[in-house]
Amino acid sequence: MREFLRRIHYLINKRRLDAELQNDMEFHREMAARAGRKNFGNTLRMREQAHEAWGWTWLERLIQDLRYGVRLLVRAPGFTLMAVLVLAIGIGINVSAFSLFNMVALKPLPVLDAERLVRLERRSPTSYTSEMAYPSFIFYRDHARTLSAAIAVLGVPPMQIDADQQLTSLSFVTPNYFTELGTQAAYGRLLDPDSDGNADSPAAAILSYGLWQRRFGSDPNVIGRVIHLNGKPVTVLGITPYAFASLGGQHPDIWLPIAQQPYFFQHSAVLKDWTNASVRMWGKLAPGVSAKAAEQELRSLTNELRHEHPEAVWDGEFIQSSPGGHLQVMQPQMYQIAAMIGVLTLLILVVSCANVGGLMLARAVARQHEIGIRLAIGAGRWRILRQLCTESLVLGALGSLAALGLSCAALKLIIAKVDAPKWLDARPDWRVLLFTVGMTIAATLFFGLMPALQIARQRQQKTLARQILVGAQIAASSVLLIVAALLVRATQHALYTDPGFGYEHLVSIDPQLARHGYTAAAAKDYLNQMQNRLQNQPGVNAVSLVKLPPLGHTVANSTTEIRGKRVVIYPNWVAPDFFSTMAIPLRMGRTFNTGEKHVVIVGESFARRQWPGENPLGQTVGDGAIKDMVIGVAGDAHINALSDDDAVEQYWPEQPEDMPDMVLIARAAGEPGSLAPVAKTIATTLDASVVPEVRQLKMLYRENMQQIETVAATVSVVGMVAVTLAAIGLMGLVGYVVTQRTKEIAIRMALGAQPLAVLNAVLLQFRWPLLVGLTVGTAFAAYGSKLLRVGLYGINNLDLVSYLAALFTLGAIAALAMVLPAARTLRLNVAAILHHD
Amino acid sequence: MPMNDMLDALSPAGALPMLILRVLQSESLHGYAIAQRIHLLSSEVLAVEEGLLYPTLQKLLRKGLVQAEWGISETNRKVRFYRLTPQGKAELKRELASYGRITQAIQEVLRTA
Repeated sequence: MREFLRRIHYLINKRRLDAELQNDMEFHREMAARAGRKNFGNTLRMREQAHEAWGWTWLERLIQDLRYGVRLLVRAPGFTLMAVLVLAIGIGINVSAFSLFNMVALKPLPVLDAERLVRLERRSPTSYTSEMAYPSFIFYRDHARTLSAAIAVLGVPPMQIDADQQLTSLSFVTPNYFTELGTQAAYGRLLDPDSDGNADSPAAAILSYGLWQRRFGSDPNVIGRVIHLNGKPVTVLGITPYAFASLGGQHPDIWLPIAQQPYFFQHSAVLKDWTNASVRMWGKLAPGVSAKAAEQELRSLTNELRHEHPEAVWDGEFIQSSPGGHLQVMQPQMYQIAAMIGVLTLLILVVSCANVGGLMLARAVARQHEIGIRLAIGAGRWRILRQLCTESLVLGALGSLAALGLSCAALKLIIAKVDAPKWLDARPDWRVLLFTVGMTIAATLFFGLMPALQIARQRQQKTLARQILVGAQIAASSVLLIVAALLVRATQHALYTDPGFGYEHLVSIDPQLARHGYTAAAAKDYLNQMQNRLQNQPGVNAVSLVKLPPLGHTVANSTTEIRGKRVVIYPNWVAPDFFSTMAIPLRMGRTFNTGEKHVVIVGESFARRQWPGENPLGQTVGDGAIKDMVIGVAGDAHINALSDDDAVEQYWPEQPEDMPDMVLIARAAGEPGSLAPVAKTIATTLDASVVPEVRQLKMLYRENMQQIETVAATVSVVGMVAVTLAAIGLMGLVGYVVTQRTKEIAIRMALGAQPLAVLNAVLLQFRWPLLVGLTVGTAFAAYGSKLLRVGLYGINNLDLVSYLAALFTLGAIAALAMVLPAARTLRLNVAAILHHD
Repeated sequence: MPMNDMLDALSPAGALPMLILRVLQSESLHGYAIAQRIHLLSSEVLAVEEGLLYPTLQKLLRKGLVQAEWGISETNRKVRFYRLTPQGKAELKRELASYGRITQAIQEVLRTA
């Protein structure tokens, strides 16, 4: 240890100590000269040996190499700038993608003991839900010893504050919500497990900082004030901090104690009903307990629960835990998408590295002379190789620094643009830095090693290296372009295909009667009255009922049996006049009669697929003893899933027990916007405590499309970046080949070669890499795009148009990028070149 | 003492650190004087090369066995004098002991074989 300190001391005072050593040796020489000795040997060499004793030689060499590398880069500012920029783009896109993933899925929430929080969800071999019944939650909370606390969150439709037009989002939470997260109020106080846990405590609300700013003008006197939520008076208790991190990535504007749910939804049985899965559950692991141990205990508790309340538990159900202290819990299907994005961004890196590698190779020509001399005066190849790698590392490091800056700025922009939680921090943390360092090393190896090997070997023919670089660029670019083309095509497809129903004039009116404890009969009565009164309004053409409204909050899919085969379908339950209201044409047969059972209406293309060449009417579907008979065939409509073109919608007639869950659909004659106030006025007269959620399908459709468009646009931009990079790289490479072979070309032309033949000779060496690159890229895209299936909105992942368009674009750009510099050969001044030598 | 170190200690170059420590035991000397002293004391058998002396001195400095201090030479020049540190003294003692044992063992073999 002491010795190490002395070494460090030497390193720091190296200059002074070396001077002292030199002084010693000079003195030695003087004295020796006096004694008549003449032979001193090489002093420089001796001094070097003397300070090698300190063991810092490797560091000095590295610094030397670095200095030399930096000097070379400074001397070629054009090359350096270009390479750093290209690397910054390639690495930057990867760092940004990783930073996003890190923020969303890896970084713990800034809450108390985030690492001990677990999300608890119900699973069985066949089913999965993120929500459980509140009584089940209470059962687990009271019996689990591996959990030190349990938190439940009940999401509800937005409510109206006082007389606001805009509805406000809110959550019911268990009163330990804020204390378990370790949150302190910005003003007032937050919920208290002791005083706010009872149904008869005074009604209290916690406001978000954002709502307090927007709605209440940051007035601290709002604490203790009474506001009305859907007409019910509530006292404001406190304001959450500005950068409050709530669980599950949702940020409602108001939090209410869960025990007061019945106060807002009278007669609601949600808190007592064992079959109504309504709350999301988080647990806090007791100190020293692993998530596995907790899962184990919950498994046995589930078995106990099955004995006591068989209706509350599925066959084979168990509780699965996942880390809960993050913005987003990664589900397995998200891993696939994340992996796909990872591959795409890595491809960009491949393109940019191949690009910089090409630049380095081209520069090597200029340095052949210098390196030749260095080899001649005795520098080892290993030393030259190390020198070249050090240069690449400097480039890589500069590129990564720029990449970090770029990605940080980009993320800040994104966070500011989207309505992200305030605590999100775009600054890179240790994970991002580590990732960047890894990226730098990988990139440096990729773009630096191959050219360095070639240069150090002093190979005149660098054709193979060049061909590999071109091939890699072409392959990576073609994958990116094909994926971009697929997504763009899918967007257009989604934008310009008819969803199958007249969404422009429709509104859905969702009174959520089940939440208000309506019985089937009362719900039927309410819906009937609502329907009658709406129909009598001027400007309303038709009103109907549906269980799962188009573009609604829930999407259901299930399987049914047709001729012994299981088929995936999107089920729905509708009133007889649903099809006319939605403007979905009936192609064959008839619609339902009121009160009918065991009949079904299927979509057009579904019928064609299932019963080709046969009459679908009279066929039966369904499993079990009683099958449903097909009585009608409707036009294809994407009601449940806009993204699924297969249109396997199946409609059953509404049943009396569905009534509390039904949603009204109204068709306006003109602008549907005016229907919302009308519907609300009618609702108030029917039951003032029920405030229906009215949504214009036109708006929902547009929002949906915007999301698809954003994704497609992002990927397209990335694809274009890749193509531009590839084009620049190819131009540089071909230009370099031309420079290298100027003399040869001039001689050929002097000997009478045709210009076209010369052009061919230059370009021919790129024929194979181009072909191989395109083939490998296409194959890779075809294989990988299976993953895209979910996002492709009804086009095939082998869509020919996309592939041809992408390959044609890339081929054209590549050809242009090659022919332009190659065409220089045609303008060569043959006489001047030959004369020069 | 491992085998390699033993062979090192027996070669004149390997013994150099020990010789340096030994001549520094009584007084501190500058580099040239160290070489001279070893040369004289070995009846002019051992000539210490400059190229070996200074790296060895650096190694001793690194290990903290000697210290360098400024002084004035007999020719009135500012030069560094090397002085034994307490660790150096201890090290010398250890080296002498093991060296004595080894030479004794070798002589034993030479005498009786």
